Amino acid sequence: MRNILQKIKNAVRSRSIHVSYVDVGSCNGCDIEVLACLAPRYDIEQYGIYVHNNPREADVLLVIGSVTPQWVDKLRDIWEKIPEPKVAVAIGNCPISGCVYNRRGTLTTPPVENYIPIAASVPGCPPRPTEILSAILSVAPLIFKDYEENQK
Amino acid sequence: MRSIIYYVREFLRPEWLKTFFFARTAPLETPSYFKGYPARTEKECTRCLSCMMICPAPGAIAVLRKKDQWGPEIYPGHCIRCGLCVEACPEGVLSSGRILDVTRRDGTAFWSWYHLQVDDSLCMRCGNCCVSCPVNREIDPQLGATGTSSSDEVIMRIEGGRVTILHEEKCTGCKTCEINCPNRAIRVARMVEGVQGEEAEA
Repeated sequence: MRNILQKIKNAVRSRSIHVSYVDVGSCNGCDIEVLACLAPRYDIEQYGIYVHNNPREADVLLVIGSVTPQWVDKLRDIWEKIPEPKVAVAIGNCPISGCVYNRRGTLTTPPVENYIPIAASVPGCPPRPTEILSAILSVAPLIFKDYEENQK
Repeated sequence: MRSIIYYVREFLRPEWLKTFFFARTAPLETPSYFKGYPARTEKECTRCLSCMMICPAPGAIAVLRKKDQWGPEIYPGHCIRCGLCVEACPEGVLSSGRILDVTRRDGTAFWSWYHLQVDDSLCMRCGNCCVSCPVNREIDPQLGATGTSSSDEVIMRIEGGRVTILHEEKCTGCKTCEINCPNRAIRVARMVEGVQGEEAEA
């Protein structure tokens, strides 16, 4: 019985990934690429991914931008609001290394791994929509499949 | 009535149902002419460091030695895929998208030189820059301790109580003068200009 329930959950979750994105101080280039995923050309919703901005309903958090000091505590709050199972994906160079903001005199504190656990990162400045899509699609099953079974 | 029947029949067609429920945009492949991360070609790296000097992103490229052979290394978390290193390399060691084809077709290249600038309001005419310069020392071993020189071939010398730059083109960009200047009056800047045609071949 439990197995069947788990199988149903797996099937449903693989076709329904809720994504929420947060920009913690970037140049908006990666935001535009995430928005391009929503457009008919790339059409993220045909893969069952729904983008909205309520972390309490999200499974995947897309983190964009090198972290500014004002965002440090707020980013942790957002991460804690997301219900389990959850996963964070770093989009672009900024959350990985700070990219061009990683210089003396800039008010950024990259990388984002210092504040929340990051499961996957998509390098690029900005990354292509196809790369963002494939990253979400490949990391989501790893975390969500058999989640309840793995908890025991 | 006839139109309703027509619509029902139309919507029950297997092809229509198939497209309605299972239509997907074609698998999106990255075209070959998109600029990816620069990849190594089989050409030999001469370690001129042009790629590192032109790179706009901090920490994106480094020229490293692997088993007696030098070669550029790209770091994906830092690289912004602008392709400037591919264009700047005189040997064509890196390739990305169709940058190499386009530069060959158009005959374009980057031409770079070092520009020396002395801020007269900061300079205190000590002559440290002229004395410390390794190129100066090689050209004129008799260079005076105050930076005066009888040779016209030196990069710079003290003339009439101020630094005069004679041969900017001999500068190798080592920045020894910048380090030895007590007032940060002298500045070495690497200038890059895009050139095309006969200039690029020279």
